Amino acid sequence: MAYVAELRYYQELAALMNAHPEDYEVLGEVDLNLGLVMTGQAADLRVKLQFEGLGCTEVSALEEGGEHSCDCWLEGDLEAWGEMFDDILVNGMATGRKTVNSLTLLGDRIDIRANDPLGKDLFFRFNQTVQQFLDGAAELEQSVV
Amino acid sequence: MAITSDEDLRSLELPSETPMGQPLDWAWLRGARSEWGMKPVPGPRGLTMMDIATGSYGEIEEEPQFRSMAPRGSDIDENTPDMGYILNHKSQVWADNVIELYEEAVARQWSSTRDIPWGDLRELPSDIEHAMCQLCTVLTEIEMIATDLPAKWMWRMNHHFLEAKMFLSTQIMDEARHSDVFRKRALANGGGLLVSRAGSESLLRTILEAKTYTQASALLHLLGEGFILDIFRQGELIAPTPVEKKIFRLSMQDEARHVAYGTMHIRQAIAGDPDVEAEIHEALDHGEKVFAEFGTQPDLSSALAVLLAGGVEHIEERGFPMQSTMATKIFTSYLARCERAGLNRIDRTSLPLDLLGIDRDQFTREGVRPTKERGEDGLRR
Repeated sequence: MAYVAELRYYQELAALMNAHPEDYEVLGEVDLNLGLVMTGQAADLRVKLQFEGLGCTEVSALEEGGEHSCDCWLEGDLEAWGEMFDDILVNGMATGRKTVNSLTLLGDRIDIRANDPLGKDLFFRFNQTVQQFLDGAAELEQSVV
Repeated sequence: MAITSDEDLRSLELPSETPMGQPLDWAWLRGARSEWGMKPVPGPRGLTMMDIATGSYGEIEEEPQFRSMAPRGSDIDENTPDMGYILNHKSQVWADNVIELYEEAVARQWSSTRDIPWGDLRELPSDIEHAMCQLCTVLTEIEMIATDLPAKWMWRMNHHFLEAKMFLSTQIMDEARHSDVFRKRALANGGGLLVSRAGSESLLRTILEAKTYTQASALLHLLGEGFILDIFRQGELIAPTPVEKKIFRLSMQDEARHVAYGTMHIRQAIAGDPDVEAEIHEALDHGEKVFAEFGTQPDLSSALAVLLAGGVEHIEERGFPMQSTMATKIFTSYLARCERAGLNRIDRTSLPLDLLGIDRDQFTREGVRPTKERGEDGLRR
Protein backbone atom coordinates (compact mmCIF):
# COMPACT_ATOMS: atom_id res chain seq x y z
CA MET A 1 0.00 0.00 0.00
CA ALA A 2 2.99 2.30 -0.18
CA TYR A 3 1.47 3.98 -3.19
CA VAL A 4 -1.47 5.21 -1.11
CA ALA A 5 0.98 7.21 0.96
CA GLU A 6 2.27 9.11 -2.05
CA LEU A 7 1.03 12.42 -3.36
CA ARG A 8 0.91 10.94 -6.84
CA TYR A 9 -1.93 8.65 -5.83
CA TYR A 10 -4.20 11.59 -5.12
CA GLN A 11 -3.12 13.37 -8.26
CA GLU A 12 -4.26 10.33 -10.19
CA LEU A 13 -7.57 10.27 -8.34
CA ALA A 14 -8.00 13.94 -9.20
CA ALA A 15 -7.19 13.27 -12.84
CA LEU A 16 -9.81 10.55 -12.84
CA MET A 17 -12.42 12.88 -11.38
CA ASN A 18 -11.55 15.63 -13.80
CA ALA A 19 -11.79 13.24 -16.74
CA HIS A 20 -15.34 12.23 -15.78
CA PRO A 21 -17.22 15.24 -14.47
CA GLU A 22 -20.43 13.61 -15.70
CA ASP A 23 -20.05 11.00 -12.94
CA TYR A 24 -20.24 13.78 -10.36
CA GLU A 25 -23.00 15.77 -11.96
CA VAL A 26 -25.78 14.01 -10.10
CA LEU A 27 -24.08 14.84 -6.80
CA GLY A 28 -23.75 18.48 -7.74
CA GLU A 29 -20.98 21.02 -7.54
CA VAL A 30 -18.54 21.26 -4.69
CA ASP A 31 -16.52 24.00 -3.08
CA LEU A 32 -14.30 22.34 -0.51
CA ASN A 33 -10.72 22.54 0.59
CA LEU A 34 -10.05 19.18 2.21
CA GLY A 35 -6.90 17.98 3.92
CA LEU A 36 -5.81 14.36 4.25
CA VAL A 37 -3.34 13.51 6.99
CA MET A 38 -1.77 10.07 7.15
CA THR A 39 0.40 9.40 10.13
CA GLY A 40 2.50 6.53 11.33
CA GLN A 41 5.18 6.35 8.70
CA ALA A 42 8.65 7.83 8.61
CA ALA A 43 7.30 11.08 7.21
CA ASP A 44 3.59 11.74 7.58
CA LEU A 45 1.75 12.49 4.35
CA ARG A 46 -0.32 15.66 4.28
CA VAL A 47 -2.32 16.39 1.16
CA LYS A 48 -4.55 19.29 0.24
CA LEU A 49 -7.43 18.57 -2.12
CA GLN A 50 -9.19 21.56 -3.60
CA PHE A 51 -12.60 20.62 -4.99
CA GLU A 52 -14.31 23.16 -7.21
CA GLY A 53 -17.39 22.64 -9.33
CA LEU A 54 -17.31 19.08 -10.60
CA GLY A 55 -13.57 18.67 -10.34
CA CYS A 56 -10.54 18.54 -8.12
CA THR A 57 -8.51 21.55 -9.16
CA GLU A 58 -5.51 21.18 -6.89
CA VAL A 59 -3.63 18.37 -5.22
CA SER A 60 -0.63 19.54 -3.26
CA ALA A 61 1.52 18.51 -0.35
CA LEU A 62 1.09 20.32 2.95
CA GLU A 63 3.69 21.12 5.54
CA GLU A 64 3.20 19.83 9.06
CA GLY A 65 0.29 21.81 10.50
CA GLY A 66 -0.69 22.98 7.01
CA GLU A 67 -3.96 21.08 7.33
CA HIS A 68 -5.19 23.90 9.56
CA SER A 69 -5.47 26.06 6.45
CA CYS A 70 -8.09 23.66 5.03
CA ASP A 71 -11.84 23.83 5.63
CA CYS A 72 -11.48 20.49 7.36
CA TRP A 73 -9.19 17.49 7.27
CA LEU A 74 -9.33 13.74 7.66
CA GLU A 75 -6.64 12.43 9.97
CA GLY A 76 -5.70 8.87 10.74
CA ASP A 77 -2.91 6.35 10.74
CA LEU A 78 -1.71 4.96 7.47
CA GLU A 79 -2.87 1.50 8.40
CA ALA A 80 -6.46 2.70 8.71
CA TRP A 81 -6.23 4.52 5.40
CA GLY A 82 -4.76 1.41 3.84
CA GLU A 83 -7.67 -0.69 5.12
CA MET A 84 -10.12 1.82 3.70
CA PHE A 85 -8.51 1.69 0.27
CA ASP A 86 -8.29 -2.11 0.44
CA ASP A 87 -12.05 -2.17 1.01
CA ILE A 88 -12.55 0.04 -2.02
CA LEU A 89 -10.35 -2.19 -4.16
CA VAL A 90 -12.16 -5.35 -3.07
CA ASN A 91 -15.70 -4.02 -3.35
CA GLY A 92 -15.40 -1.38 -6.03
CA MET A 93 -16.43 1.23 -3.46
CA ALA A 94 -16.13 1.76 0.27
CA THR A 95 -18.63 -0.30 2.21
CA GLY A 96 -20.11 -0.44 5.70
CA ARG A 97 -17.75 0.92 8.29
CA LYS A 98 -15.04 1.71 5.77
CA THR A 99 -16.72 4.74 4.25
CA VAL A 100 -15.20 8.04 5.30
CA ASN A 101 -18.51 8.95 6.91
CA SER A 102 -18.58 5.84 9.10
CA LEU A 103 -14.89 5.98 9.88
CA THR A 104 -15.16 9.57 11.04
CA LEU A 105 -18.40 8.93 12.88
CA LEU A 106 -16.64 6.46 15.13
CA GLY A 107 -13.52 8.58 14.86
CA ASP A 108 -11.20 6.12 16.50
CA ARG A 109 -9.08 5.37 13.42
CA ILE A 110 -9.72 8.22 11.02
CA ASP A 111 -11.30 11.38 12.35
CA ILE A 112 -12.71 14.53 10.79
CA ARG A 113 -11.20 17.70 12.20
CA ALA A 114 -11.62 21.38 11.56
CA ASN A 115 -10.84 24.64 13.24
CA ASP A 116 -14.47 25.59 12.81
CA PRO A 117 -17.62 23.45 13.20
CA LEU A 118 -18.83 24.93 9.91
CA GLY A 119 -15.73 23.55 8.24
CA LYS A 120 -16.60 20.15 9.60
CA ASP A 121 -20.15 20.54 8.32
CA LEU A 122 -18.73 21.13 4.83
CA PHE A 123 -17.46 17.57 4.96
CA PHE A 124 -21.02 16.39 5.60
CA ARG A 125 -22.43 18.66 2.90
CA PHE A 126 -20.07 17.30 0.26
CA ASN A 127 -19.56 13.87 1.75
CA GLN A 128 -20.73 11.82 -1.20
CA THR A 129 -18.49 13.66 -3.61
CA VAL A 130 -15.50 13.03 -1.37
CA GLN A 131 -16.48 9.39 -1.07
CA GLN A 132 -16.87 9.02 -4.82
CA PHE A 133 -13.49 10.68 -5.31
CA LEU A 134 -11.84 8.15 -2.98
CA ASP A 135 -13.84 5.29 -4.53
CA GLY A 136 -12.02 6.17 -7.72
CA ALA A 137 -9.19 4.09 -6.24
CA ALA A 138 -11.04 1.04 -7.55
CA GLU A 139 -10.48 2.30 -11.06
CA LEU A 140 -6.81 2.92 -10.34
CA GLU A 141 -6.47 -0.63 -9.15
CA GLN A 142 -4.42 -1.78 -12.10
CA SER A 143 -1.91 0.98 -11.71
CA VAL A 144 -1.80 0.57 -7.92
CA VAL A 145 -0.89 -3.05 -8.29
CA MET B 1 -33.58 52.85 -37.85
CA ALA B 2 -31.75 50.60 -35.40
CA ILE B 3 -31.74 51.95 -31.85
CA THR B 4 -28.23 51.35 -30.60
CA SER B 5 -27.71 53.71 -27.69
CA ASP B 6 -29.41 55.38 -24.75
CA GLU B 7 -29.08 58.63 -26.65
CA ASP B 8 -31.15 57.15 -29.48
CA LEU B 9 -33.78 56.20 -26.89
CA ARG B 10 -33.89 59.66 -25.41
CA SER B 11 -34.37 61.28 -28.80
CA LEU B 12 -37.25 58.99 -29.75
CA GLU B 13 -40.71 60.45 -30.13
CA LEU B 14 -42.97 58.02 -28.26
CA PRO B 15 -46.75 58.06 -27.91
CA SER B 16 -48.03 59.20 -24.52
CA GLU B 17 -51.19 57.09 -24.64
CA THR B 18 -52.67 54.01 -26.29
CA PRO B 19 -55.16 54.28 -29.15
CA MET B 20 -57.80 53.63 -26.44
CA GLY B 21 -56.62 56.66 -24.52
CA GLN B 22 -54.80 54.83 -21.73
CA PRO B 23 -51.69 56.70 -20.54
CA LEU B 24 -48.36 54.98 -21.22
CA ASP B 25 -45.34 54.83 -18.91
CA TRP B 26 -41.98 54.74 -20.72
CA ALA B 27 -39.82 55.01 -17.60
CA TRP B 28 -38.71 51.41 -18.06
CA LEU B 29 -37.30 52.34 -21.47
CA ARG B 30 -35.62 55.56 -20.51
CA GLY B 31 -35.00 57.15 -17.21
CA ALA B 32 -35.41 54.27 -14.76
CA ARG B 33 -32.93 54.35 -11.90
CA SER B 34 -30.94 51.23 -12.67
CA GLU B 35 -27.47 49.94 -13.25
CA TRP B 36 -28.11 49.36 -16.93
CA GLY B 37 -25.02 48.03 -18.65
CA MET B 38 -23.68 45.98 -15.77
CA LYS B 39 -22.88 42.57 -17.16
CA PRO B 40 -22.02 39.80 -14.67
CA VAL B 41 -19.64 37.23 -16.05
CA PRO B 42 -20.63 33.58 -15.75
CA GLY B 43 -18.12 31.38 -13.99
CA PRO B 44 -17.17 27.82 -14.87
CA ARG B 45 -20.38 26.55 -13.23
CA GLY B 46 -22.63 28.93 -15.12
CA LEU B 47 -24.23 32.15 -13.89
CA THR B 48 -24.68 31.88 -10.14
CA MET B 49 -26.50 34.10 -7.68
CA MET B 50 -23.04 35.06 -6.38
CA ASP B 51 -22.10 36.23 -9.89
CA ILE B 52 -25.09 38.56 -10.14
CA ALA B 53 -24.80 39.94 -6.61
CA THR B 54 -22.88 42.91 -7.96
CA GLY B 55 -23.29 46.64 -7.49
CA SER B 56 -26.56 47.70 -5.92
CA TYR B 57 -28.08 44.34 -6.83
CA GLY B 58 -25.82 42.69 -4.28
CA GLU B 59 -26.19 45.28 -1.53
CA ILE B 60 -28.21 43.78 1.29
CA GLU B 61 -29.43 46.66 3.41
CA GLU B 62 -29.68 46.29 7.17
CA GLU B 63 -33.17 47.75 7.13
CA PRO B 64 -34.70 48.10 3.67
CA GLN B 65 -36.80 51.14 2.87
CA PHE B 66 -39.69 49.18 1.35
CA ARG B 67 -41.76 46.27 2.60
CA SER B 68 -42.91 45.02 -0.77
CA MET B 69 -42.08 42.26 -3.20
CA ALA B 70 -40.35 44.73 -5.50
CA PRO B 71 -37.06 43.20 -6.66
CA ARG B 72 -34.01 44.52 -4.83
CA GLY B 73 -32.14 46.87 -7.14
CA SER B 74 -35.18 47.86 -9.21
CA ASP B 75 -36.63 51.37 -9.48
CA ILE B 76 -39.37 51.11 -6.86
CA ASP B 77 -42.44 53.32 -6.62
CA GLU B 78 -42.40 55.40 -3.45
CA ASN B 79 -46.01 54.40 -2.82
CA THR B 80 -45.48 50.69 -3.28
CA PRO B 81 -47.83 48.84 -0.87
CA ASP B 82 -46.63 47.49 2.45
CA MET B 83 -46.96 43.69 2.34
CA GLY B 84 -47.13 43.37 6.10
CA TYR B 85 -43.69 41.89 6.53
CA ILE B 86 -42.54 41.69 10.13
CA LEU B 87 -39.00 40.48 9.53
CA ASN B 88 -37.54 43.64 8.09
CA HIS B 89 -34.07 43.66 9.58
CA LYS B 90 -31.25 41.78 7.91
CA SER B 91 -30.11 40.07 11.09
CA GLN B 92 -33.58 38.60 11.56
CA VAL B 93 -33.28 36.30 8.55
CA TRP B 94 -29.90 36.58 6.89
CA ALA B 95 -26.81 34.39 7.06
CA ASP B 96 -23.56 35.29 5.34
CA ASN B 97 -23.40 31.88 3.66
CA VAL B 98 -26.99 31.87 2.44
CA ILE B 99 -26.39 32.70 -1.22
CA GLU B 100 -23.77 29.98 -1.58
CA LEU B 101 -26.02 27.55 0.27
CA TYR B 102 -28.86 28.30 -2.13
CA GLU B 103 -26.68 27.57 -5.15
CA GLU B 104 -25.36 24.43 -3.46
CA ALA B 105 -28.87 23.25 -2.72
CA VAL B 106 -29.99 23.78 -6.30
CA ALA B 107 -26.94 21.93 -7.60
CA ARG B 108 -27.32 18.98 -5.24
CA GLN B 109 -31.00 18.13 -5.52
CA TRP B 110 -31.86 14.45 -5.89
CA SER B 111 -34.93 12.36 -6.47
CA SER B 112 -36.28 9.76 -4.08
CA THR B 113 -37.94 8.08 -7.02
CA ARG B 114 -34.98 7.96 -9.38
CA ASP B 115 -31.78 8.04 -7.31
CA ILE B 116 -32.50 5.37 -4.70
CA PRO B 117 -31.84 1.78 -5.82
CA TRP B 118 -35.20 0.51 -4.63
CA GLY B 119 -34.68 -2.71 -6.54
CA ASP B 120 -31.86 -3.64 -4.14
CA LEU B 121 -34.20 -4.03 -1.18
CA ARG B 122 -34.24 -7.57 0.12
CA GLU B 123 -36.14 -9.47 2.75
CA LEU B 124 -34.73 -8.66 6.17
CA PRO B 125 -34.95 -10.35 9.55
CA SER B 126 -38.23 -9.30 11.09
CA ASP B 127 -36.68 -7.36 13.99
CA ILE B 128 -34.49 -5.33 11.61
CA GLU B 129 -37.37 -4.59 9.25
CA HIS B 130 -39.55 -3.51 12.16
CA ALA B 131 -36.79 -1.30 13.56
CA MET B 132 -36.14 0.34 10.19
CA CYS B 133 -39.86 0.89 9.68
CA GLN B 134 -40.19 2.44 13.14
CA LEU B 135 -37.24 4.76 12.48
CA CYS B 136 -38.74 5.73 9.14
CA THR B 137 -42.10 6.36 10.79
CA VAL B 138 -40.49 8.84 13.17
CA LEU B 139 -38.41 10.44 10.43
CA THR B 140 -41.26 10.88 7.96
CA GLU B 141 -43.26 12.47 10.79
CA ILE B 142 -40.66 14.90 12.03
CA GLU B 143 -39.03 15.92 8.76
CA MET B 144 -42.07 17.88 7.66
CA ILE B 145 -41.55 20.33 10.51
CA ALA B 146 -38.64 21.70 8.54
CA THR B 147 -41.02 22.52 5.69
CA ASP B 148 -43.84 23.88 7.84
CA LEU B 149 -41.63 26.08 9.98
CA PRO B 150 -39.92 28.09 7.20
CA ALA B 151 -43.25 28.26 5.37
CA LYS B 152 -44.83 29.76 8.47
CA TRP B 153 -42.29 32.58 8.51
CA MET B 154 -41.29 33.12 4.90
CA TRP B 155 -44.28 35.23 3.90
CA ARG B 156 -43.39 37.51 6.81
CA MET B 157 -39.82 38.05 5.56
CA ASN B 158 -39.03 41.19 3.66
CA HIS B 159 -38.51 40.34 0.02
CA HIS B 160 -35.34 42.42 0.04
CA PHE B 161 -33.77 39.32 1.63
CA LEU B 162 -34.67 37.30 -1.41
CA GLU B 163 -31.80 34.84 -1.24
CA ALA B 164 -32.69 33.83 2.31
CA LYS B 165 -36.22 33.07 1.15
CA MET B 166 -34.90 31.19 -1.86
CA PHE B 167 -32.65 29.10 0.35
CA LEU B 168 -35.53 28.32 2.70
CA SER B 169 -37.53 27.26 -0.34
CA THR B 170 -34.84 24.69 -1.11
CA GLN B 171 -35.02 23.53 2.48
CA ILE B 172 -38.74 23.06 2.09
CA MET B 173 -38.14 20.95 -1.02
CA ASP B 174 -35.38 18.98 0.74
CA GLU B 175 -37.58 18.17 3.68
CA ALA B 176 -40.53 17.25 1.52
CA ARG B 177 -38.20 14.79 -0.18
CA HIS B 178 -37.07 13.42 3.19
CA SER B 179 -40.64 12.89 4.32
CA ASP B 180 -41.30 11.24 0.99
CA VAL B 181 -38.26 8.96 0.99
CA PHE B 182 -38.74 7.70 4.57
CA ARG B 183 -42.42 7.06 3.94
CA LYS B 184 -41.47 5.13 0.82
CA ARG B 185 -38.90 3.10 2.71
CA ALA B 186 -41.34 2.23 5.47
CA LEU B 187 -43.74 0.84 2.91
CA ALA B 188 -41.41 -0.52 0.25
CA ASN B 189 -40.19 -3.74 1.85
CA GLY B 190 -43.40 -5.28 3.09
CA GLY B 191 -43.30 -3.54 6.47
CA GLY B 192 -45.23 -0.34 7.04
CA LEU B 193 -45.66 2.70 9.18
CA LEU B 194 -45.52 1.78 12.86
CA VAL B 195 -46.09 3.86 16.00
CA SER B 196 -46.34 7.64 16.34
CA ARG B 197 -45.87 8.79 19.92
CA ALA B 198 -46.83 11.99 21.66
CA GLY B 199 -43.18 12.89 22.34
CA SER B 200 -42.52 13.58 18.67
CA GLU B 201 -45.56 15.80 18.38
CA SER B 202 -44.59 17.76 21.51
CA LEU B 203 -41.21 18.48 20.00
CA LEU B 204 -42.73 19.59 16.72
CA ARG B 205 -45.20 21.85 18.48
CA THR B 206 -42.42 23.46 20.51
CA ILE B 207 -40.57 24.33 17.30
CA LEU B 208 -43.64 25.46 15.42
CA GLU B 209 -44.85 27.68 18.26
CA ALA B 210 -41.58 29.54 18.80
CA LYS B 211 -42.32 33.23 19.31
CA THR B 212 -39.77 34.60 16.86
CA TYR B 213 -38.20 33.31 13.67
CA THR B 214 -34.74 33.36 15.20
CA GLN B 215 -35.90 31.31 18.19
CA ALA B 216 -37.55 28.93 15.76
CA SER B 217 -34.37 28.74 13.69
CA ALA B 218 -32.29 27.93 16.78
CA LEU B 219 -34.70 25.15 17.71
CA LEU B 220 -35.01 23.81 14.20
CA HIS B 221 -31.66 24.33 12.51
CA LEU B 222 -29.26 24.12 15.41
CA LEU B 223 -30.95 21.68 17.74
CA GLY B 224 -33.37 19.62 15.68
CA GLU B 225 -31.60 19.33 12.36
CA GLY B 226 -28.22 18.98 14.03
CA PHE B 227 -29.60 15.93 15.83
CA ILE B 228 -31.13 14.50 12.66
CA LEU B 229 -27.91 15.17 10.74
CA ASP B 230 -26.10 12.92 13.17
CA ILE B 231 -28.79 10.25 12.86
CA PHE B 232 -28.29 10.36 9.10
CA ARG B 233 -24.53 10.16 9.61
CA GLN B 234 -25.13 6.84 11.37
CA GLY B 235 -26.68 5.58 8.15
CA GLU B 236 -23.88 3.27 7.22
CA LEU B 237 -23.91 1.74 10.70
CA ILE B 238 -27.64 1.16 10.81
CA ALA B 239 -28.58 0.57 7.19
CA PRO B 240 -29.15 -3.09 6.39
CA THR B 241 -29.15 -2.65 2.59
CA PRO B 242 -27.69 -0.28 -0.02
CA VAL B 243 -31.13 1.33 -0.23
CA GLU B 244 -31.06 2.83 3.25
CA LYS B 245 -27.38 3.68 2.93
CA LYS B 246 -28.08 5.80 -0.12
CA ILE B 247 -31.10 7.41 1.52
CA PHE B 248 -29.14 8.40 4.60
CA ARG B 249 -26.09 9.59 2.65
CA LEU B 250 -28.05 11.89 0.40
CA SER B 251 -30.30 13.14 3.18
CA MET B 252 -27.24 13.88 5.31
CA GLN B 253 -25.90 16.32 2.74
CA ASP B 254 -29.20 18.19 2.64
CA GLU B 255 -29.45 18.36 6.40
CA ALA B 256 -25.91 19.71 6.74
CA ARG B 257 -26.83 22.69 4.54
CA HIS B 258 -29.74 23.55 6.80
CA VAL B 259 -27.55 23.31 9.87
CA ALA B 260 -24.94 25.54 8.20
CA TYR B 261 -27.59 28.18 7.49
CA GLY B 262 -28.92 28.04 11.03
CA THR B 263 -25.49 28.31 12.61
CA MET B 264 -24.62 31.41 10.65
CA HIS B 265 -28.09 32.92 10.94
CA ILE B 266 -28.02 32.71 14.72
CA ARG B 267 -24.56 34.26 14.69
CA GLN B 268 -25.81 37.11 12.51
CA ALA B 269 -28.93 37.55 14.65
CA ILE B 270 -26.89 37.94 17.82
CA ALA B 271 -24.40 40.26 16.14
CA GLY B 272 -27.26 42.42 14.87
CA ASP B 273 -29.09 42.57 18.17
CA PRO B 274 -27.29 41.25 21.27
CA ASP B 275 -30.58 41.14 23.18
CA VAL B 276 -31.62 38.29 20.92
CA GLU B 277 -29.10 36.03 22.62
CA ALA B 278 -31.21 35.83 25.77
CA GLU B 279 -34.29 34.97 23.72
CA ILE B 280 -32.44 32.17 21.97
CA HIS B 281 -31.12 30.78 25.24
CA GLU B 282 -34.63 30.81 26.64
CA ALA B 283 -35.93 28.89 23.62
CA LEU B 284 -33.10 26.37 23.81
CA ASP B 285 -33.54 25.90 27.57
CA HIS B 286 -37.01 24.63 26.85
CA GLY B 287 -36.15 23.02 23.52
CA GLU B 288 -33.32 20.91 24.93
CA LYS B 289 -35.63 19.47 27.58
CA VAL B 290 -38.28 18.55 25.05
CA PHE B 291 -35.61 17.27 22.73
CA ALA B 292 -34.03 15.07 25.38
CA GLU B 293 -37.47 13.54 25.95
CA PHE B 294 -37.86 13.01 22.22
CA GLY B 295 -34.39 11.52 21.77
CA THR B 296 -34.86 9.07 24.59
CA GLN B 297 -38.43 8.07 23.89
CA PRO B 298 -38.58 4.30 24.11
CA ASP B 299 -39.74 3.60 20.57
CA LEU B 300 -37.11 5.65 18.77
CA SER B 301 -34.20 4.76 21.01
CA SER B 302 -34.97 1.04 21.01
CA ALA B 303 -35.38 0.96 17.23
CA LEU B 304 -32.08 2.76 16.74
CA ALA B 305 -30.32 0.49 19.21
CA VAL B 306 -31.61 -2.61 17.41
CA LEU B 307 -30.33 -1.25 14.09
CA LEU B 308 -26.96 -0.33 15.60
CA ALA B 309 -26.71 -3.79 17.14
CA GLY B 310 -27.73 -5.59 13.97
CA GLY B 311 -30.60 -7.32 15.79
CA VAL B 312 -32.41 -7.52 19.11
CA GLU B 313 -30.14 -10.26 20.41
CA HIS B 314 -27.14 -7.91 20.50
CA ILE B 315 -28.90 -4.83 21.80
CA GLU B 316 -27.34 -4.86 25.25
CA GLU B 317 -23.79 -5.80 24.38
CA ARG B 318 -23.57 -3.66 21.22
CA GLY B 319 -26.67 -1.56 20.55
CA PHE B 320 -26.92 0.48 23.73
CA PRO B 321 -23.16 1.10 24.12
CA MET B 322 -22.95 2.27 20.52
CA GLN B 323 -25.99 4.45 21.00
CA SER B 324 -24.33 5.98 24.02
CA THR B 325 -21.22 6.76 21.97
CA MET B 326 -23.38 8.32 19.28
CA ALA B 327 -25.21 10.45 21.84
CA THR B 328 -21.90 11.89 23.02
CA LYS B 329 -21.05 12.81 19.46
CA ILE B 330 -24.47 14.27 18.72
CA PHE B 331 -24.50 16.60 21.70
CA THR B 332 -20.81 17.45 21.30
CA SER B 333 -21.53 18.60 17.76
CA TYR B 334 -24.56 20.55 18.92
CA LEU B 335 -22.69 22.36 21.66
CA ALA B 336 -19.80 23.15 19.29
CA ARG B 337 -22.23 24.58 16.72
CA CYS B 338 -23.82 26.72 19.41
CA GLU B 339 -20.37 28.09 20.24
CA ARG B 340 -19.78 28.84 16.57
CA ALA B 341 -23.12 30.60 16.45
CA GLY B 342 -22.03 32.76 19.36
CA LEU B 343 -24.03 30.94 22.03
CA ASN B 344 -22.36 29.55 25.08
CA ARG B 345 -24.64 26.65 25.92
CA ILE B 346 -22.06 24.50 27.64
CA ASP B 347 -22.31 26.54 30.84
CA ARG B 348 -26.08 26.87 30.69
CA THR B 349 -27.49 23.67 29.29
CA SER B 350 -29.48 21.36 31.51
CA LEU B 351 -28.63 18.42 29.29
CA PRO B 352 -27.19 15.60 31.43
CA LEU B 353 -23.61 16.16 30.32
CA ASP B 354 -22.20 13.68 32.83
CA LEU B 355 -24.46 10.95 31.52
CA LEU B 356 -23.48 11.93 27.99
CA GLY B 357 -19.82 11.69 28.89
CA ILE B 358 -19.15 15.35 28.21
CA ASP B 359 -16.83 17.28 30.50
CA ARG B 360 -17.52 21.02 30.60
CA ASP B 361 -13.90 21.72 31.47
CA GLN B 362 -12.67 19.88 28.41
CA PHE B 363 -14.93 21.70 25.99
CA THR B 364 -13.35 23.34 22.98
CA ARG B 365 -14.99 24.95 19.98
CA GLU B 366 -14.19 21.89 17.93
CA GLY B 367 -15.80 19.66 20.50
CA VAL B 368 -15.27 17.95 23.78
CA ARG B 369 -13.31 14.96 24.82
CA PRO B 370 -15.49 12.18 26.19
CA THR B 371 -14.83 11.45 29.83
CA LYS B 372 -15.87 7.86 30.01
CA GLU B 373 -13.52 5.06 29.17
CA ARG B 374 -13.94 3.22 25.94
CA GLY B 375 -13.71 -0.49 25.29
CA GLU B 376 -11.46 -2.06 22.67
CA ASP B 377 -14.20 -1.60 20.11
CA GLY B 378 -14.15 2.14 20.70
CA LEU B 379 -17.52 2.15 22.43
CA ARG B 380 -18.19 3.84 25.74
CA ARG B 381 -19.16 1.59 28.63
